[in-house]
Amino acid sequence: MRIHVILNLYIFKVKMLLGTLKASKASIALLIFYTFGLLPGLFGLSLTLSNAVRETVDINPCIEQLSSIASLLMVFAISLALRGYTVFEYEQNIILTSPIKPREYLIADTFSNLTSLSIFANPLVIFYLMIVYLLKLSISSALLILLSVLLFTFTLLFLKVSFSIVKSLYRGVLTNIFILATIFLLLFPSAGLISDLPIGYTLLPYPSTFLAKIIVGLVYGLDNLIIDLTGLSFYFLLSLLFFLSASMKNFFPSVSSIPFISPFDTSMRMQNLQMERSIRVFSRMGVISILNPESRSILVFLMKKEFIRVLREGSLFTIILLYLLASLIATSISGSLSQNQQILPYSLTFIVGVYSLTIPLMLVSNWRASDSGNLWIQLTSGMDIYVMVKALLYTFISLSSTIPVVVVAVLSMIYKVNPIAPLILTISTSMIGCSVNLYVMIGLIKLKGIGAPSLLIGLVSMLLSILLLTPVYILVMLELNLGFGDAKSWLSIVVVVAYSILITKILSKEIGKNIYNIEL
Amino acid sequence: MTFIVELIDVWKSYNGIQALRGLNLEVRKGEIFGLIGPNGAGKTTTLKIIVGLLKMDRGLVKVNGVDIYEKPYEYKKLIGYVPESVSLPDYLTVEEFLIYSGKIRGVSTKHIRERIDHLTNLFELEDKRRSLIVSLSKGMRQKVAIASALIHDPDLLILDEPFIGIDPMGQHLLKELFSERVKDGKTVFISTHMLDTAERLCDRVAIIYKGQNVASGDLKILKQLSRTGENATLEEVFLKLIEEAEVKSTRDEMLKRGRL
Repeated sequence: MRIHVILNLYIFKVKMLLGTLKASKASIALLIFYTFGLLPGLFGLSLTLSNAVRETVDINPCIEQLSSIASLLMVFAISLALRGYTVFEYEQNIILTSPIKPREYLIADTFSNLTSLSIFANPLVIFYLMIVYLLKLSISSALLILLSVLLFTFTLLFLKVSFSIVKSLYRGVLTNIFILATIFLLLFPSAGLISDLPIGYTLLPYPSTFLAKIIVGLVYGLDNLIIDLTGLSFYFLLSLLFFLSASMKNFFPSVSSIPFISPFDTSMRMQNLQMERSIRVFSRMGVISILNPESRSILVFLMKKEFIRVLREGSLFTIILLYLLASLIATSISGSLSQNQQILPYSLTFIVGVYSLTIPLMLVSNWRASDSGNLWIQLTSGMDIYVMVKALLYTFISLSSTIPVVVVAVLSMIYKVNPIAPLILTISTSMIGCSVNLYVMIGLIKLKGIGAPSLLIGLVSMLLSILLLTPVYILVMLELNLGFGDAKSWLSIVVVVAYSILITKILSKEIGKNIYNIEL
Repeated sequence: MTFIVELIDVWKSYNGIQALRGLNLEVRKGEIFGLIGPNGAGKTTTLKIIVGLLKMDRGLVKVNGVDIYEKPYEYKKLIGYVPESVSLPDYLTVEEFLIYSGKIRGVSTKHIRERIDHLTNLFELEDKRRSLIVSLSKGMRQKVAIASALIHDPDLLILDEPFIGIDPMGQHLLKELFSERVKDGKTVFISTHMLDTAERLCDRVAIIYKGQNVASGDLKILKQLSRTGENATLEEVFLKLIEEAEVKSTRDEMLKRGRL
């Protein structure tokens, strides 16, 4: 094993990773935004957690929950192995064709992955420091937590690499069964969290359990952690052995290559590549066509086409996932606030409001990544561009409003709260959000070409949406605080919907004008 | 003489760089017309202005005798266009994309079905009809793009570098197709770097350089203009005319700066 080769390779890979960060100001802005954008949330979370730690007597639920989170991370890492060992195209062309040995490559790759992870985990470091400070942990405890997390992280990386190599070398069903069985073993104790079954992570000697016991034990000042530390170290050594034996195999001819996509790269080319990958993944679910020439209305036909896009590029799946998450948060809030039912409409409205604003942004951003490059087709076809704008907006609005409306309706029925305020907010946010996002997107494409930074588009769209939604927010607040009564509530819905339609109409005309004047 | 495309004193600049400088061009009905010129001469800009993807700064463009800014939608129904680098909706299947192309061009349902059958057969895409575009090779995508440009059987087919990325059999097929269309009274307008192909395929060509029409006509006229002799190839004619244009351009530039 040649150390200088590993070092050179590691430096090269890190340079490739950071190169894209240096290439664009938007990428640097994205990283800063990511770090500082998470800070307030992490600060709040650390305060809540430290308070909860002070008030909690029974530590077993804490261990159980932390173990389940750590196990989920393990499952995520191992499930990535199902696609086999993947390398970037540049690696396959430049590195794997050189006389480098698999083990040298793997060590450099593992450390570059760790570097990439540590850049991404930088907000977590701040979170860790806050927890250490707020709970007044001793330096030795803080260091021991850090060491345990590092051991666990290495275990994850080694397992992911080893399982991937096994999958690449032995592509049979047995390998899949082996990986899926491991995933099942890691996941099944979580059933104890949501049912009365007498199973749980605390009862099993999992690496995640050892990690959770160490962290919780150190936070609560327990001394007897030798067994847990030994257990975690044992798993680390076991995964290291697995890694070392897997690295002895020449797996280079069995790898599959993927395009180089750096997480810091915000360029349109990268977004297109990501979208292409997404279409390949979601198209595996089957291509059901609803597009046929028999549609009498061109508007309905174009809406169907947009719906197909949203389905096949995975946007619909993401929306459903986001709202499932939102529903879970709303449900858990309602559970914790069961004594104070009056707060529920506020939390429901807040959650719906926050999520509803992100959906139009996501829909329009995905349209830009997958379809804005195809505008030449419509622009040279002689079709009425305003019909295309209508089709886009109607699809976006129907998608971004239907799912939250259902969520609000179901939750308000379960918890017997008045759905008017969240419904007003959802419908209005969807209409105004979609038209504003599309307006800003097209405006910036017209000004700067297809390559306008998406972060900028997102920020401008969010700000403009919030500005135009201010009257709606005020009305919703009044409705929540004063409780208009049935007649006034319905009137307020009519006013808000009329206002939203007006904004949508004005913006859709402007969007059409701007699209017509885009130079491609 | 009936022209299907006329460009009269067309000017276009991007970020202060003059792409077209008073370009004049005529394409006759029922011919294969080639636009040739070095990189950056303004070929793609010219085609994009005609199909409405770029707005000219000044000048006049007529398609089938009608000012394109007077009827910005209607004239496009006559045109089928394929750009140099083709971007297609990856999330649609080949058949869905062809249906979509037909619908947005106002082709009737019955006609769309017939045209799809004909075009997928012509371009040997039958077994790819239900494949997603994302799964196609570059050459296949080019074929799909050309098929979509033909879905409404346009009077004028405009293609920017149509032979790039297509295998020799595909290229042969395209040349046959262009000749067939001309026989039916349709017009094919291509821009290309492949001078030997242009020489054999095109009825007339225009050589453009630095946004101006240096010479246009059939090969016989171009040979006379360039004084390259009877046996000269289009490549020799092209090089001679470009050289002369470069000399003229340099002289004009120096005159402008007052150095001569």
